[in-house]
Amino acid sequence: MTAPTPAPTIEPVTRLIDQPRVDHYAVAARDPNPIHRETPEAYAGPFGRPVAHGMLVLALLSEAMTNACGEAWERGGSLKVRWRQPALVPVEVTARATLRSESDGVATYDVMCEDAAGEALLTGTASVRLA
Amino acid sequence: MTSPTRFAFDTLSRGDVLPTVDLTITHDDVRAYLEATGEPAARWGERVPPVMLSALMLATLLGQVEIPAGVMHTGQEHESRRPVRIGEALTVTVTVSSYAVRRGALMAAFDAEARAGDEVVATSRASVLVPPPEGADTEGNAE
Repeated sequence: MTAPTPAPTIEPVTRLIDQPRVDHYAVAARDPNPIHRETPEAYAGPFGRPVAHGMLVLALLSEAMTNACGEAWERGGSLKVRWRQPALVPVEVTARATLRSESDGVATYDVMCEDAAGEALLTGTASVRLA
Repeated sequence: MTSPTRFAFDTLSRGDVLPTVDLTITHDDVRAYLEATGEPAARWGERVPPVMLSALMLATLLGQVEIPAGVMHTGQEHESRRPVRIGEALTVTVTVSSYAVRRGALMAAFDAEARAGDEVVATSRASVLVPPPEGADTEGNAE
């Protein structure tokens, strides 16, 4: 069977990450760190206000990869990312992926999440086995 | 998820393996996660979104280690080996893969492995940084 051709770019996913979403995520992901919520710790911290969970930002990227790759993303997808700056709430985040290479049936994408001003919040790579 | 013993962050060292924790993800867990992230739920059916599993592997660490104030999550890796079904009995084991002080800042990485029985279904690595306290000596390096 011939492996499917990887998409050169993946349809971006854009979503507003506001405080209610972050609060909901804190419970769902079992991460109650007060820097993510409307707490004195968040306002006294280095960013002066709550910061979205990095994993919530990363979730948009995984959603974009799922949109493009379907079950292949679950069978053998991998991510390696670094956060470049905090996602200060509220923030509109766009997740993007562009094909970097394809070798031996594995497509590797350069990935990023950016804010509405185009500033990178997260960069890295995602790989998926196509067949 | 079971509630294990919590370890102080400054007592960890490279190579430490934290006690294995049971993890079973329910329909309600997945529904709450997808409502929070905003991802459409219908396509997941009986399966767990891969990065949700990664987030709950990270939560296993948060449940076992007292994370100091000011810690920054600087990097994340995740690899899915196969789809994970809702209700599947998993175990998660976290290993301290690096732990070092550089100029007063503590940098650590934690590898987590999710298994179904003997089968590894996903792996992840979380990298964190604890900035030096204000006024701290930032000359020293240690592991």
